[in-house]
Amino acid sequence: MIKRIFVILVFALCAHSVFAISEAELDSLAARFTIDEVSVTARALNKDVIIPQSLKGAELKRLNALNVADALRYFAGLQIKDYGGVGGIKTINVRSMGSQHTAVYYNGVQLGNAQNGQVDLGRFSLDNMEEIQLYNGQKSDIFQSAREFGAAGNVYLTTRKPYFKNNERVHVRTQMRFGSFALANPNVGVDVKLTDALSLTMDAEYVYSNGKYPFRYRRVLPSGETAYDTTAVRQNGDINAVRAELGLHHYYRTTGFWRVHAYNYWSERGIPGAIVNNVWRNGERLWDRNTFVQAQWQDEWFKRWSTRVLLKYANDYTHYKNYDERLLPSNNEYLQQEAYLSLANKVQLFNWWDMSLAYDYQYNTLARENLLLENSKEYFYRHSHWFSAATAFNVKEYLRLQASVLMTAVSQQPIANSQQPRFTPGIFLSLRPFVRSSVRPLQDLSLNAFYKQSYRYPTFNDLYYTDLGNANLRPELARQHSVELAYRTANSQRLTANDCGYEIAISASYYYNRVTDKIIAYPKGQQFRWTMLNLGTVKINGVDAKADVSLYLPLRFVLRTRLVYTYQTAIDVTNPNDTYYGHQIPYIPWHSGSFVLNLDWQSRRGDHYGLNYSFIYVGERYCQQENTIYNYVQPWYTHDLSLYGEWAVKQYGLKAYLEINNLLGQDYEVIQNYPMPKQNVRCTLAFRY
Amino acid sequence: MHTRFQILKMLFSLSVSGLLSLSATFLTSCRGDEVIYPTIGTHVTNEVQEGGLYVLCEGNMGSNKARLDYINLEKGDYYSNWYGAQNPRQIKELGDVGNDIQQYGGRLYMVINCSHLIEVTDLQARHIGQIEIPNCRYMAFKDDKLYVSAYVGSMASPEMLGSVFEIDTATLEIKREVKVGHQPDELCVLDDKLYVCNSGGYLTNRYDSTVSVIDLHSFTEIEKISVGLNPTRIRVDDRNHLWVCCSGMYESASQHVVILDNTATLKQMNLYASNISILGSTAYLLDGEAHTLRAFSTADFSEQPCQIDISAYEHPYGLLATEHALYVTDAKNYVSSGVLHCYDYSGREHWRAMTGDIPGHLCRVPNAYDLYPDTTKPVDVHKYLSRVYEYVPAMGQFVNELPKYENGDDEASMCRKCEKALAGNAGGLVSLGGWGGYITFGFDHAIENKDGRDIQILGNAFYMAGSTEYGSSEPGIVLVSRDENGNGVPDDRWYELKGCLYDSQTYISRTCTRASDTIHNEFHQHPYFPQWIEADSLTFTGALLPSQTVVISGQNVQRILDYGYADNKPNNDIDGTSFDISWAIDESGQPVALPSIDFVRVYCAVDETLEITGELSTEISGAVDLHY
Repeated sequence: MIKRIFVILVFALCAHSVFAISEAELDSLAARFTIDEVSVTARALNKDVIIPQSLKGAELKRLNALNVADALRYFAGLQIKDYGGVGGIKTINVRSMGSQHTAVYYNGVQLGNAQNGQVDLGRFSLDNMEEIQLYNGQKSDIFQSAREFGAAGNVYLTTRKPYFKNNERVHVRTQMRFGSFALANPNVGVDVKLTDALSLTMDAEYVYSNGKYPFRYRRVLPSGETAYDTTAVRQNGDINAVRAELGLHHYYRTTGFWRVHAYNYWSERGIPGAIVNNVWRNGERLWDRNTFVQAQWQDEWFKRWSTRVLLKYANDYTHYKNYDERLLPSNNEYLQQEAYLSLANKVQLFNWWDMSLAYDYQYNTLARENLLLENSKEYFYRHSHWFSAATAFNVKEYLRLQASVLMTAVSQQPIANSQQPRFTPGIFLSLRPFVRSSVRPLQDLSLNAFYKQSYRYPTFNDLYYTDLGNANLRPELARQHSVELAYRTANSQRLTANDCGYEIAISASYYYNRVTDKIIAYPKGQQFRWTMLNLGTVKINGVDAKADVSLYLPLRFVLRTRLVYTYQTAIDVTNPNDTYYGHQIPYIPWHSGSFVLNLDWQSRRGDHYGLNYSFIYVGERYCQQENTIYNYVQPWYTHDLSLYGEWAVKQYGLKAYLEINNLLGQDYEVIQNYPMPKQNVRCTLAFRY
Repeated sequence: MHTRFQILKMLFSLSVSGLLSLSATFLTSCRGDEVIYPTIGTHVTNEVQEGGLYVLCEGNMGSNKARLDYINLEKGDYYSNWYGAQNPRQIKELGDVGNDIQQYGGRLYMVINCSHLIEVTDLQARHIGQIEIPNCRYMAFKDDKLYVSAYVGSMASPEMLGSVFEIDTATLEIKREVKVGHQPDELCVLDDKLYVCNSGGYLTNRYDSTVSVIDLHSFTEIEKISVGLNPTRIRVDDRNHLWVCCSGMYESASQHVVILDNTATLKQMNLYASNISILGSTAYLLDGEAHTLRAFSTADFSEQPCQIDISAYEHPYGLLATEHALYVTDAKNYVSSGVLHCYDYSGREHWRAMTGDIPGHLCRVPNAYDLYPDTTKPVDVHKYLSRVYEYVPAMGQFVNELPKYENGDDEASMCRKCEKALAGNAGGLVSLGGWGGYITFGFDHAIENKDGRDIQILGNAFYMAGSTEYGSSEPGIVLVSRDENGNGVPDDRWYELKGCLYDSQTYISRTCTRASDTIHNEFHQHPYFPQWIEADSLTFTGALLPSQTVVISGQNVQRILDYGYADNKPNNDIDGTSFDISWAIDESGQPVALPSIDFVRVYCAVDETLEITGELSTEISGAVDLHY
């Protein structure tokens, strides 16, 4: 038991986790990790060379966040585009390389959108989420699918895994959330232990909001006198969405498991649109259905050979209609399908040397139809193959090194865009001089670095743009260089409730990225006929700094802080004759950061009460390529506050959260002309059995 | 403007961890009030034309960045966001996508397409009223009526036909509506009929191909003329013929220009015209694809020589032919600032100015307006500067331009050019270039030192809209001298007039050389070193003022100094631009009592180069004897 707890502690530290582990949770964590992650924690070779940023468990729950995009605001080096409201699109951009360079994985399998290459993270609820991780470069674990070596930035979403104590068979979680703008958000989750090894999880959620939030535009003269001050209510921002998930997990040996996950999401929403002079509402509506089924099987042979198989089928339907009779009438349907297969194998040659090979295949189709025109249905197809080879070795645990190379081959129809297969390397290393030190308190200093190339392939939208397709598009290339210095220390073994302890993790990284052959929309001679060209070059320099500090105080108080700061320059260096040459690219602030402060008190009975304060800052930036006063966008920052209580009686648990977001009611925009909500409130009650 | 400061911050954050730098960031980067978009004046030319020109920049859809710029052609001053200065209280500014601008009956009318509005102002662009018309596109006028084409009518039809609305210009009320073809664009009035281009722009690849003829009495469509695919522009020439530009399927085979006599086709020219402007008996056709501008006679449709070369443009877009000048705009990549070019008919480019996004629509107005009208009125030429003795500018973007250097000019002839610009309240502008550059001038009499201020020196400083603390200030230090030896030339002892920042001035000496004259910005592709100077280097000595530039909502502005510097406050602030001879001091800083002075010298006392607007340089536009 003691050894087990120690393993867990180390794991918790390494995974950048700073939440306290209560005795009860320790057991459950241990149970879970021994089932699922034991092969991962067992040997250092398999572990990530570079530890990702992560938010998990209680920490994730206590943040003022409704969906995954809200939570990602607390990560370093990452910018969110948020069009406002519960239903507004939210996409992320890692280290300024563009949202299409970011891959999002749901329980290990990439979410796809072959049409526009972007995933709306506002659609993924946090209620079912166990952990969110952000990997710059790639997940630096060589045992992964080939495609995972492909993207420049990676977000891993891991849903709740079932775990049962000895005599438990069923767990039920019910939750109800109410909030401003008529938010109603019930959620039910059921976990059933079918046999000792086989378990079933079900999760369903409904989200409604009328999206009618007040917003204000106030402008002043340079003298400070008010020029105008107007308040209106956001219209057509309503959302109705249902999510249902079903998972089957089978852990049949200590080394092997398979799981199947089915996901379905329906929604109808208004697209609130840009607020411009004399246009205060918009008539666009969107209907979505996203369905996917994915299966994963993994096992180990002869203790040295591991195999993983992933299978996925996804079927995504979108219907877009514009009811605004003043504008171009549109009524379009899109159906995307995706079939995906991945085979990954890893062999341990020696204790210090692993190798892996993986092959992925994906087939995408898109059917597009303009319902206003007859015979307008168009079909697009794409076959993608990925082949990866990777190796990892350790030099006496002081130095870990991984290298990978990925071959990508993509072919499309009907306009052939057959490109030569392309190869992209990645090298990751981590130097940890004190890793074997037995000095207490535990200390860990690591110097991490990576270099990686990755391609972002043109999406169907890029290739078959409304007016003019461009079959000659090349993939966009991102080159990343990054170095990081990280330090952790902890002294959290407390014998009595009044002992003090701490966990500290600080890190700073510097990165230099260069994106070339950037695919941009460019007018093609004729008036406003746009086409896509490989025109842009962007040079990115940035610094991310993070500090996580947890202090275990007497009387079972715990104070946790998390501070994240990013400085970035992302400069357009396409053509010295452009007026925006050398200017910061749109919507990338020079400065951004967040600060979270959490004070938690645990009663003698194990109940928790706490207060969470968070502050998010996004500095000044420009909304167009040219950095002029006419494109200037002011900084924004919000203060969010939440109060919570968590009570446990026997096997029953009750949680209550009260959140106040944008406490000072700042009128801000993340994207110009898309006002964000002022002060708003959410209240959540959760019951678990 | 950001770089140095932020690199420092970056290093700071690297070394001290996030916490400290985060707080440093907050100290400097808090959100302030959202200040309205500023109006920025830039002097672009010294060549005098009459009146003014409005430039309506479309801005991209959804950006709400339609912008009305104005150039005062008499002074050569270009004002970006002129509408904003005239109507700072307009909610959400001018609106989303400006699509047409015309003046009629002493008013200015602007179509703001995606705001579904016609904005009506006076000729100075001060708001009078607005008319709401869904998806409005272009305008035409007749008597007291305004006609507006709109992509959709008030009664949306399944076949998506557009409408033309009739508006009473007196009441700005919609009177009548008539259905026309698909997505009507330009329209024009000839006799009692209205001709409307039905583009069919929403029917990609199945465009409309007709011109609707509307009888203005009954306001009904009486005929549809078939002209060719995708007609977008229609204009009347001096012979009452109609020129219709068809964009076709956006490939050359289907593009042409049709000339109609009433409803009969007179001529079809197989060329593409993305824009057209007719002046007298010449029609200018702009091909935005081939980057050519061609001229045709309206009499026999023969091609006329046209020397204007637009091949280097990124995307030629707007076009306007006027009596003295031809204006063509380059929309660049449609998502950044465009450029307005001014040519004469020999093809020479006179000046260019940076506009807003997509400068598409130009409108000439008879009057020249100033944002901050000059209150000084001409009284007597003796009151004003009469003689320029020396003109030695340091390197700068307006050197050799203000005044213009021409081959053969020498120091004396340049002084005469300065006199022409400045003497007798001429109101021209002379640039002193960068730090140290100077001008020496005098009056036709000595200026006496009486009580109070004695001499006013005019420049081109201005306040930001609504502020008297900040603006464009390019201060110069003023020296005075008495003709002690009576030889009539300024070779006597100079005394500095002590300004409010005297204690912060540093006295330096600096040399600029012809060889270092290599960096020129896009708008000033000429030498910056004064070309009439024979020496290869110039050495200046004098005082350097500390930088007063601050960034207010992203815009570079200067803190206006209290008193004692030229080109620091706007000319209508007489006190703020005037000097007292009693401020004179000698080299040791001791006050000197001068009963009168004969010569005045002003030198540029700042050394700063800003993004976009280039280096700060003192400009002089005249001087006034306040006792005369």
